[in-house]
Amino acid sequence: MIATLARRSRRAVSNSRTGISAVTLGIPASLIVVLAIATPHFFLSLQNLTNLVNQMTTLLIVALGQLLVAIVAGLDLSVGSVISVTTCIVSSDLSPALSIPLAFALGAFVGLVNGYGIVGFGIHPIIMTLSTMTFLQGLAYLIRAVPGGTIPPVLTTLASGATLGVPHALVWSAIAFFAVAALLYRTRFGLHLFAVGGQPESARLGGVPARRVAISAYVLCSVLAVFAGLFVAARTASGDPAVGVSFGLDSVTAIALGGAQLSGGVGSALGALTGTLSLALVSNGLNLLDVSAFLQSALKGVLLIVAICAQRRTAVGL
Amino acid sequence: MATTAAGTAIEARALCKSFGPTKAVADVSLAVRAGSVHAVTGENGAGKSTLMKLLAGVERPDSGELLVRGERASFANPRDALVRGVSTVFQEFTLLPNLTVAENLYLGREPLARGALDARKMTADASAVLERVGLAVSPDRLASRLTIPQQQLVEIAKGVSADASVFIFDEPTATLNNAEVDTLGALIDDLRSRGKAILYISHRLEEIFRFCDTVTVLKDGRLVTTVPTATLCETDLVTLMVGRPVHDLFPPRSTIAPAVALDVRKLVPGPGRPEVSFALHAGEILGIAGLEGQGQREILRSLTGVVKPESSDIEKRDANGNATRLDPRHGPTAAVVAGIGFVPEDRKTEGLYLDLTIYDNVALGRLKALPLFSLAPRVATFVEAIAARMKLRAESIKQNVGSLSGGNQQKVMLARWFAAGVDVLAIEQPTRGVDVGAKAEIYGLLREFANEGGSVIVASSELTEIIGLCDRVLVVRGGRFVAEMRGADATEEGLLEHALDALEREPAVT
Repeated sequence: MIATLARRSRRAVSNSRTGISAVTLGIPASLIVVLAIATPHFFLSLQNLTNLVNQMTTLLIVALGQLLVAIVAGLDLSVGSVISVTTCIVSSDLSPALSIPLAFALGAFVGLVNGYGIVGFGIHPIIMTLSTMTFLQGLAYLIRAVPGGTIPPVLTTLASGATLGVPHALVWSAIAFFAVAALLYRTRFGLHLFAVGGQPESARLGGVPARRVAISAYVLCSVLAVFAGLFVAARTASGDPAVGVSFGLDSVTAIALGGAQLSGGVGSALGALTGTLSLALVSNGLNLLDVSAFLQSALKGVLLIVAICAQRRTAVGL
Repeated sequence: MATTAAGTAIEARALCKSFGPTKAVADVSLAVRAGSVHAVTGENGAGKSTLMKLLAGVERPDSGELLVRGERASFANPRDALVRGVSTVFQEFTLLPNLTVAENLYLGREPLARGALDARKMTADASAVLERVGLAVSPDRLASRLTIPQQQLVEIAKGVSADASVFIFDEPTATLNNAEVDTLGALIDDLRSRGKAILYISHRLEEIFRFCDTVTVLKDGRLVTTVPTATLCETDLVTLMVGRPVHDLFPPRSTIAPAVALDVRKLVPGPGRPEVSFALHAGEILGIAGLEGQGQREILRSLTGVVKPESSDIEKRDANGNATRLDPRHGPTAAVVAGIGFVPEDRKTEGLYLDLTIYDNVALGRLKALPLFSLAPRVATFVEAIAARMKLRAESIKQNVGSLSGGNQQKVMLARWFAAGVDVLAIEQPTRGVDVGAKAEIYGLLREFANEGGSVIVASSELTEIIGLCDRVLVVRGGRFVAEMRGADATEEGLLEHALDALEREPAVT
């Protein structure tokens, strides 16, 4: 019975480009079961579940952007700095009518620079986005050297609290998730992303504007990072030049846990969700179990490598 | 509107295309009639693939014009060409491995319903098209799960789905076995009978005569002639392609000394494979013939340490009769040190460093025997001497190997082992992707190597090559040697009889 199920799921996996496998789904599922048994009163409490959603939302939005870039065989390390800069901009004295569009404009511009550098000048994604990451990190400290400032109330209302019992964080997550899923599976652009990630030259020969598609992926990724930044700023009610630091690598970890392949062409919105959920569950559970933050980081590293090894990483086209 | 003879599906007028100083295509005109198969042939570097790219929309001509059904056309990319009715099946297929068959078919012109991708219509349309080309796979299957002939059919289906009037095939049989070539032939006949114009780019004479009505010969980027295939014989066509008569493709055989150079006993190429034993004599060219996938590849590769054999007992003897044991389980480097060079079938990925120069590729053979961290001495004059001896056609030894033609790349591969001073060469498909003129030169080089005391073992699926080149032929079937004959006595029928016999009696080892 289990063998049949495993075989069937393996077949489903080998016939798709989602990267979804028993492992991608099994990790969060088993974490939920383990945590529900180990700490029944805490883990399943409404309070903790709300916490979990709040903790997840930022990373989920960033990871969905990272996913778009990973599908075209790219990588964007600068998302963390985009988050930090965004919080610094919206916590400044500018009116929200100015600061929010400014943050989006900057995000789109960063994405364009990343995309043009990588696609147009052939700079390796790590080097290119490392450069923009470093630049933006400096910019964030220039705008706001220490955490502080005030966030426009309109943002804090949108990010905190709940309407009819639904936490607003969940709404942000759901919108981001369904928007990216619709983009990937219901538009030509989504199909073209997979095509470019599969083999850029073949995609070009097939009439796909490969360069434009890849650059757009970087722009969308940065724009999603701005959204994440707005959410963080609103949640923490302040601007912080270092708040985004961990998100660059965490978003890569999340999508890798979710079955996306950094060699391009394979990945899914669902995978980004389960990967993010897994990371959030590990943090949440280890917090509940009172494990130190340093050990948590070490355990996440182990989880990532185990999860990757457990998934059959077949390169596309082989 | 330009005027064109009735029934002409596609016409090129005075097309020119240069890459830097080289004129790849110079002033080439040709017209392809609807309902005919038109071959474009020539040696490697003659310009046939550039011409194909101009017609397919991959490259744009510097001057000249293209007419599709009498109307001037200019293509920005192959998708553009497809929309105008020109479909191309590229030699290196352009299917995206992570997309489904249906997605590949409609990439760039996906059906939309209210702004969203209409996956259902795409699948339904794809099913209908696949049925028309006779491909029984689900449109939801990923392209990477298709076999090579299936992928080719999908490429053809792309053209059928766009209702193309012109189909261009670029070396379509390079990756097909004989049965698959027959299937392709039937498909081409079908397209022709439906009034399509087919451009067939190939340098395989047999196929040109078998499939094509008309043949255009190119040489050095220029048009040599366009004639009905029926008015030519193979020798005529070769003469046109090479530009001079080629009398003897194969060099004369010589008498073989009885001295054994390589004594292979009880070689088990892999788990569960039968044991083989044979002797290779000094100065001999030994052929291994058989249908594809009968174990010839494994025998050669395990002998040279490319794959580890299960067990073996191999003795190598030098010119003075001194014997050394060779254990291929120590890997290919040990085999090279022992004096055995291996030339793989796929020289581009397994043999050569395409991004490195001729010098680097050849000098590597010289350096193989040195310890890992020893300094690499410059051996430029030595490499130049070898290149000259091999009549390597390149501007200098600093040229990148990737920019050379197939024949010259194969010469670089051989030069590496000559430079290494090996006395046994094991070669898979020695002239795959090599044009006629260079073929004769490569055969000559191998014979010269043998005449100087070296030994060659050749595995080839081209029977004419085995018969013409080899002193002795072993026929392999199901991983075993089932017949041995002298090259001079071998005939295609005789070899095939032994090779085919195996299929009837026992299943093939793959």
